[in-house]
Amino acid sequence: MAFTSFNFLIFFPLVLVLYWLTPVKYRYITLLFASYFFYVNVKPVLALVLFSVSAAAWGFALLMSGTRNERKRRTYFIVNIIIVLLPLVLFKYFSAINNALLKYLTEIGLNWPLPEMRYILPIGISFYTFMALGYAIDVYNDELKAERNPGIIGLFISFFPLILSGPIERAGNMLPQFRKAQSPDFALIATGLQLILWGYFMKLVVADRIGIYVTSVYNHVEHHNGTSLLFASMLYPFQLYADLGGYSLIAIGCSSILGYRIIPNFNRPFFAPTMAEFWRRWHMSLITWLTDYVYTPLSFALRKYKVWGIVCALLLTFLLSGIWHGATLTFLMWGLMQGLFLSAEALLNQRKTLAEKKYSLEKKRWYLIAGIIFTFLMFSSSMVFSRAATFHDALLVYHKIFTEHGPLFVGSPSTMIYLGCGLILLIIKDFLDEFYPHRIKLFNNDNSIVRTMSYSAIIIIILLIGVFDSSQFIYFQF
Amino acid sequence: MKLFQCIKQNKYIKRTIHIIFLLATVAVIDLALGNLLENFYFKQKSGWLYRTTYALNETTADLVIIGSSRANHHYHPDVLSKSLNLTYYNAGRDGSYIFYHYAVIRSILKRYKPKVIIFDFIKTGFKPSQESYDRTAYLLPYYRSHPELRDIIETKSPFEKVKLLSRIYPYNSMLVTIAAGHPALHSTRDGDNEGFIPLLDKWNEPLVSYKASPCYDFDKEEVRIYESILTDCIKSGTRIYVVVSPYFHKLATPDCSVIEARKIAAQYNVPFLDFGDSEYFRNSPQLFYDSYHLNENGAREFSALLVEAIKKEESKTYASQSNLDQ
Repeated sequence: MAFTSFNFLIFFPLVLVLYWLTPVKYRYITLLFASYFFYVNVKPVLALVLFSVSAAAWGFALLMSGTRNERKRRTYFIVNIIIVLLPLVLFKYFSAINNALLKYLTEIGLNWPLPEMRYILPIGISFYTFMALGYAIDVYNDELKAERNPGIIGLFISFFPLILSGPIERAGNMLPQFRKAQSPDFALIATGLQLILWGYFMKLVVADRIGIYVTSVYNHVEHHNGTSLLFASMLYPFQLYADLGGYSLIAIGCSSILGYRIIPNFNRPFFAPTMAEFWRRWHMSLITWLTDYVYTPLSFALRKYKVWGIVCALLLTFLLSGIWHGATLTFLMWGLMQGLFLSAEALLNQRKTLAEKKYSLEKKRWYLIAGIIFTFLMFSSSMVFSRAATFHDALLVYHKIFTEHGPLFVGSPSTMIYLGCGLILLIIKDFLDEFYPHRIKLFNNDNSIVRTMSYSAIIIIILLIGVFDSSQFIYFQF
Repeated sequence: MKLFQCIKQNKYIKRTIHIIFLLATVAVIDLALGNLLENFYFKQKSGWLYRTTYALNETTADLVIIGSSRANHHYHPDVLSKSLNLTYYNAGRDGSYIFYHYAVIRSILKRYKPKVIIFDFIKTGFKPSQESYDRTAYLLPYYRSHPELRDIIETKSPFEKVKLLSRIYPYNSMLVTIAAGHPALHSTRDGDNEGFIPLLDKWNEPLVSYKASPCYDFDKEEVRIYESILTDCIKSGTRIYVVVSPYFHKLATPDCSVIEARKIAAQYNVPFLDFGDSEYFRNSPQLFYDSYHLNENGAREFSALLVEAIKKEESKTYASQSNLDQ
């Protein structure tokens, strides 16, 4: 059940009513049932994987906390990590690795009888696996007490607003909230509704509309010229931001209405003047997870190599991030590029800081704008690998961008007009929030008429130009 | 006064009033804007939205072409109308699927009885696809005025009735198209020839051959709708021809939907004219606009061949009718 489906608009208010009707002590049980109901709607059998991961996370955490014997604790921890990671590896990576191995063995003349494997990927597996892993690591590091109630752990890992696409929450933030019963809080509900509304705008008006253009261009890379490919490549980061950012806002908004505070996932990333700053604003829940559980331990372990240790840790962390996004060479390349950009920044950081101080660059507006544009260009250039269907397609996109120019593919002018309207509104809002946070207020205006008109305008825009189904795609098929 | 004070102080009541105020504002804007869009939608005099309205509400042509973009671009009115001596209207619409086609046929048959309907059947026509259901969105503006279409529109999703409480929803993503179709602006658009839109470019790519593929499961609802198209036409006394027009590709195995559609047509004694794998067209890329669509020259040649095939079918029917009479 996607957030954008009409079923969700019925499901969520029903859950809300049930949740508030349930005695305070048992509210987590209502949410647990609702979360599993939400999940089995996708494919019932895959809920078993979710259940197994939750059971392993709960059981092994208790075993770890139940012993002071370091060897035993370590064994439990390793077994826990293996069990939690196993479904992810099996469903997401095994077939890719297996098929690549099969191809390689055949190429070198070894006809190893490996069967070709294809599995359905359980939805949200990358997200809930990382949440379960984070919990196991926190308990092992004694940063968190093991939760005795399996229902609370089950809810943490399956919590329906977060399970499809995050944010990747931390046990340290969520478990105390689940333990403590939540009662309706109007301020949180109002914030939640605002976030949901803006989330739907981002997803339906911006992301899905841009998606029509980007899909039609990237699905026929060989038929489009460099101008169209460049335009689609510039649009794609906005699509991804509005898509994942919009979904995250809906998730955070739903959680707020239920009374839970969730970590933010995006913070106006396209106004970041450096790549390091960009990654502090983009998919923040994943990046903080990777920073805490991968980058920090790695850079600590490699500290004797000084700056090269940091470079190495950065490269490995972002390679892992690439693999997490998808089991393909294109994602690996995407991760490598992010690592290289950040490494270059880390290596040049000292000189850059000196120059900034010497010429007082930080105060200059043009310097900030140049930084924002340069960062965006670097990120969107790397996203070609993330969007292209194959490695060959990605290389073809780069080649055509630099060699083959021509008229821009427009497809349907109306789609381009809606795309422009949505994107401009999104950029204006982010711009105001970034640079004039208290100057122009619409959703939070003290005047209730301004507030109401702002909400109404967004709802009407969604109804007018939101993409509700595939019927819009026809106008853009190549 | 006391009550007003009490309301002002009670945050729960205050918030509830705000929410009601917001919903009322949205409802009023939705109603006003929806009515405005509806008004302009039905005032259009050109474009594909107008052509759907014309097909549903106005055409009285003897020969009606029904189908997707292939129907719209493949059946040349100059050839068909002249050779068959029938008035012609092409109700084919880009990106439409069988549910939409059935809706058009149903609306037409409710108003009058055309002499001939040509239903262009596409390969993979019974292959399950969400798009097939989603594209009934084309019919949303007619939900209120055409009760005969409601059950077809409701196949899109079980919540369509609820969504249609919004007056803007039926016109979602149509704002610019409706504006461009306004009589004051529509002169900028390319005109159509009785609904037919010719494609002018030539296809330069080589023939694509597809490997043999196993048969897919059929969408039962699509098969049922196909049968309804045939039975509704038969019941109304309209002659229907199911036609598979040419493709510029080669399949290693015949398409399962075409086999099934032919079988069903035979059950109902409906002529099924299959040009989908025509060797002549496959060897003539200059007659195509792309691998799925004929260009205007292709449409002329195909229409001429179709007229011959229809005449042959007619004489066959006439002969069997005469035999029966004797």
